[in-house]
Amino acid sequence: MKETLEAIRGMKAENIIGAYAIGGAVGATFYLEPLATMDVDVFVSFKGQADSALISLAPISSYLKAKGYGFRGEYAIIGGWPVQFLPPADALGEEAIAEAVDTEVEGVPARVMTAEHLVALALQLGRAKDHARILQFIDAGVLDAGKLDAILARHGLTAKWAGFEQRFLGRSK
Amino acid sequence: MNDKMRAILESKRLERNRLALLPFAEKIRLLEKLRDRDLAIGNSALCQARGSRAGRASMLRETDAGNNPCS
Repeated sequence: MKETLEAIRGMKAENIIGAYAIGGAVGATFYLEPLATMDVDVFVSFKGQADSALISLAPISSYLKAKGYGFRGEYAIIGGWPVQFLPPADALGEEAIAEAVDTEVEGVPARVMTAEHLVALALQLGRAKDHARILQFIDAGVLDAGKLDAILARHGLTAKWAGFEQRFLGRSK
Repeated sequence: MNDKMRAILESKRLERNRLALLPFAEKIRLLEKLRDRDLAIGNSALCQARGSRAGRASMLRETDAGNNPCS
């Protein structure tokens, strides 16, 4: 993981990427107990790119290939970890990157999405494992309810959250 | 639920809380161990023998096949 973070730092230093944030299970591990996962999801902002309508991950691929890293499908293999670089799908994804938390792992800087953004993104995705992860966040008591409500309202997810609460927490709408 | 089961679940909750409070770097080290273990299981003879059956099953599941060490 340290090598992954160092590669990201290198890309940032050389302006290959702008803002970024770790999401997925590795991001959730910042707040919860370690969650078994096979890959690392790194969300990369392309805001400010000359033509943001034509988002391309090619500069990232080229940089990593030049550094000798291999690829498997859409994953770059860095330090033995499959790493997927993902552009944000919408305004929620952009916000999750912009408001990520700065931390470090063994002296290497890292940016991790907030717990509330991880939950909002999981709600938006809505797969079984996303629902399970939301429940883990609730169970762990690490969510700021006010902050989460504001994010959900900003991104049109309030009704979906009410449905989630009704289905999984037995709370009426 | 009887008292014994309640105590077991409570001890699990406390352990999860303990792990959640570890520094991020320490949790990443544990996460790497979990992944190494999953990969070892995935490479085991049992998983290899399951072969295409496991692959087909993982396609039918809604949950993430990537978290299944045998997939």
